[in-house]
Amino acid sequence: MLRARGLRKEYGREASLVRAVDQVDLDVPAGETLAVMGPSGCGKSTLLHLLGGLDRPSAGEIWLAGERIDQMSERGMAALRRDAVGFVFQAFHLMDELTAVENIELPALLAGRSPRAARRRAAELLDQVGLADRARHLPSQLSGGQRQRVAIARALANSPLVVLADEPTGNLDSEATLDVLQLFESLHEAGQTLVIVTHDARIAATADRLISMRDGAFVDDTRLTGGTAGNLSALVGLDG
Amino acid sequence: MQQEVVLALLAKEPSHGYELRARLREALGPLGDAMNDGQVYVTLGRLEKAGQVTVEHAAGMPDRPDRKMYALTAAGQHRVAEWLAEVSWPKPDLAEFHLKLLAAAAAHLADPVAIVDAQRRELLRRLRDAQRIAMAEPRESDAALLLEGIVLRLQADLRWLEACERTWTKRKASSRGEQ
Amino acid sequence: MRSRLLIVSRLAARDLRYRRGETAMLVVAFVAATATLTLGLILHGVISRPYQQTRAATAGPDVEATAFPQRGGPPADRAALASLTPLVRARGVTAHTGPYPVAFAVLHAAGHADAVLAEGRDQAPAAVDQPALTQGSWVRPGGVVLERSFADALGVRAGDRVTLNGRSFLVSGIAVTAALPTSGIGFLGNSSQFPNPGLIWVTRAAAESLATRAHPLGYLLNLKLAKPSGAESFANAYTNGGSYNDNVGNPYLLPWQDISQQDGLLVRNEQRIMLVGSWLLALLALGSVVILVGGRMADQVRRVGLLKAVGGTPVLVAGVLLAEYVVVALVAAVIGLAAGRLAAPLLTSPGAGLLGTAGAPSLTLGAVAEVAGVALGVAAAATFAPAIRAARTSTVRALIDVARSPRRRGLLIALSAWLPVPALLGLRLAARRPRRLAANAISIAVTVSGLVALLFAQASLGAPQLGGTTSGSADPGQFEVGFADVTQRVDQVLLIVTVMLAVLAAVNAIFITQATVRDARHNSAVTRGVGASCQQVAAGLSAAQVLPALAGALAGIPGGIGLFAAANQGGYSGTPPVWWLIAVVLLTVAGVAALTAAPAWAGARRPIAEVLQAEAA
Repeated sequence: MLRARGLRKEYGREASLVRAVDQVDLDVPAGETLAVMGPSGCGKSTLLHLLGGLDRPSAGEIWLAGERIDQMSERGMAALRRDAVGFVFQAFHLMDELTAVENIELPALLAGRSPRAARRRAAELLDQVGLADRARHLPSQLSGGQRQRVAIARALANSPLVVLADEPTGNLDSEATLDVLQLFESLHEAGQTLVIVTHDARIAATADRLISMRDGAFVDDTRLTGGTAGNLSALVGLDG
Repeated sequence: MQQEVVLALLAKEPSHGYELRARLREALGPLGDAMNDGQVYVTLGRLEKAGQVTVEHAAGMPDRPDRKMYALTAAGQHRVAEWLAEVSWPKPDLAEFHLKLLAAAAAHLADPVAIVDAQRRELLRRLRDAQRIAMAEPRESDAALLLEGIVLRLQADLRWLEACERTWTKRKASSRGEQ
Repeated sequence: MRSRLLIVSRLAARDLRYRRGETAMLVVAFVAATATLTLGLILHGVISRPYQQTRAATAGPDVEATAFPQRGGPPADRAALASLTPLVRARGVTAHTGPYPVAFAVLHAAGHADAVLAEGRDQAPAAVDQPALTQGSWVRPGGVVLERSFADALGVRAGDRVTLNGRSFLVSGIAVTAALPTSGIGFLGNSSQFPNPGLIWVTRAAAESLATRAHPLGYLLNLKLAKPSGAESFANAYTNGGSYNDNVGNPYLLPWQDISQQDGLLVRNEQRIMLVGSWLLALLALGSVVILVGGRMADQVRRVGLLKAVGGTPVLVAGVLLAEYVVVALVAAVIGLAAGRLAAPLLTSPGAGLLGTAGAPSLTLGAVAEVAGVALGVAAAATFAPAIRAARTSTVRALIDVARSPRRRGLLIALSAWLPVPALLGLRLAARRPRRLAANAISIAVTVSGLVALLFAQASLGAPQLGGTTSGSADPGQFEVGFADVTQRVDQVLLIVTVMLAVLAAVNAIFITQATVRDARHNSAVTRGVGASCQQVAAGLSAAQVLPALAGALAGIPGGIGLFAAANQGGYSGTPPVWWLIAVVLLTVAGVAALTAAPAWAGARRPIAEVLQAEAA
């Protein structure tokens, strides 16, 4: 579904040159939930921005669903962000003056759907994230977890090929975190491809696969499925 | 199974063995599934011998061990009170892993970074399991709080492993530089 | 106290230096307003004193009695002359000169043909109304003396040759008089063929020879009264009916007060335009400051929070904010006063028809105080509300909160969903800050009012008003100088004011766009993040300015008509073609779109990831 080869992103020049992403190869099969983990400043957010067309790589290639996206025009990139990618941010980035349902329908309106169809889709998604009764609330009237669920619904508005989440629970308490993780789990079950960037092992551990990143490069790639699953006693010292 | 836990379960009222088991399951949630049913009875037997628990056979059903009713003795009650006042805490046995890394590095038996990575993967898998169980558990259940603790503990361990990895990676690099 | 002043001045100075571009634009806005106001004030009264000087120097008459033949033919001119003779012995008359014969003629000079009123004078000096020479010598046979403003308009000097009704004359001198207005004397002969003639002096014989059958001689009589202040009632008592606009009966008497006023008319028109214009400019300057301050509130609020967190009192905080704009206003007021003072002679030169130093108008202390007061008032008014609000904001809120949260306009948001994407984004952006929207619309409305008033003035001035249309055998382009002289100057003044208005409005449009771009930075990034292209966002940002600009431009049309009516009390009337007005609206909107395109495009192109990251931090 998502593929990158030799991906590089540099900032600055000469002495102050920073390689935020350094020669990264990546394959995300359809339906997989991938977590990219690493300390802050390791380049994981930059990687996500490159994958989602928010930023352009200095070198390397990116394919999404078999289509090369790193050389697209500005307009093409906009269309990509609109139709093929759904972004979820740590700071939610909702529009303060728009209600929950208006925020969610915005990408659909940008995609040229009729206001009626966009509103219908937004209502569906609100229901899916469990906020059907909050449609007319402004973001300021919602809790952090609710705002993030609205943001996730917005990311899903145009049924994207891949959802990219940047520290989606960074601003949430543990209860709201569980809500969001559960939502991701249900997306995963529905076959949604999902890339989550986080510094929190707990969030990363919900993925099928975990990539550890340091100084712009991948240092470890672990499949989390299988392993000790089922051996619950390993989690709690009740063996006497 | 810790004796104090079983004693404390009896503190409320005299109970049958199966009642204790049910209470434990409720408190531990899915984690209680891993518990061996026999353990409670073994522990009760030991406590009876130590004179901290008395056993009354329910009338009319002498041949059914299940119908035994357990109750605390004065000594048992005393021990429960002491246990509640205790401030001991399960030791996080990090020293063992720490020494493992040092030994591996000193004797060139294995790459400490590889050991850390392997350990980290193991802990991540455990974390994933715990997280999944936690997500499946109703929010208000007693077990949810326990699972939260397990998850947080694993997170802390993982962070320590990250620190180990950083340090050992640096050491490896500098020792390579010296050679 | 001293340390507090130090802090206030240091913070204000740093902030101004930190935002040099904005500060410069702000100074431009203030200077334009203060300079125009200064001009308006300087022009006030510029004419009255020179007229007095000229009157004294030329022994100007208290009443100028005129008599022109009512119908063609020699008997009529004798009747006209006869109507003047009783005046010489009228009560209150202490001295007189004349009656002198006057004739309408056509003067050719330097390729121009102009209508003139030639007054026949004695070579000996007269006791009443002896025009004062500023060049050359007085009338002699074969010689002609030109009134100074007329000579200036023609570009004729003493020693040049001109022809009168085809006969050659030498310009022997240039002179000024207080007996007749320097312009607008066409009514005297009520001759449609000689609208607004220039004034010249020749010998009596020459004047008599210039008369024709169609335009026989008229007569002028200069009267001195025992009581000069009673000139108006004397004139009323002896004028045989008629007024400026009706048929002039004989005799027709002009009191010196009327002449003074007539001479001042031109400058008074300019002055009125300048004053109205400067108030409009002050309004726009106020708009600039309000927009700037409003646009900077996001930064200011956080700064205020910091100041308060380290122990600044609300008074200190308000002081810093006020100090910045007060300093800008004062500096701009000084520049504006100097600029206005320097520019004044360029506009007062039509006073050249009068002796004295019309070209060196003075700046009174009152005018200086008024200009400085207006500048300070604008600065204080614009910053007062934000300063108070900032000072009263709780410290914690100021530190964590980013300015005021935008307004929500549910209906607009719902309606905009049905529009194409740029209009959708533009409408929503515009709706976020209704006050800025209003400021934008008002700024454009004020400017377009100025433009429309200019067009009306153009249309009015383009059509001859005082003397009627030229007719008969006369060449239509024949008599251009006299009237064009008046209209050109008013035109120039209007043009200056309008250009200044346009400059300020442009500054405002850029300010507003910048403020909107800054304010919408996060919104734009999010919108692009969910799939809008930067062209769409830039178009949206532009549309957010263009929509109110269109409303403002439309409102400016009635505004301009009202402004023209108010500034031009009677006198001129005329309507510009409708397509001019449509063009003004379209050009204004196009101009706003062009001005806002660059900042909007720059704002829309900022890297999304960078903006979102910065906002999250």
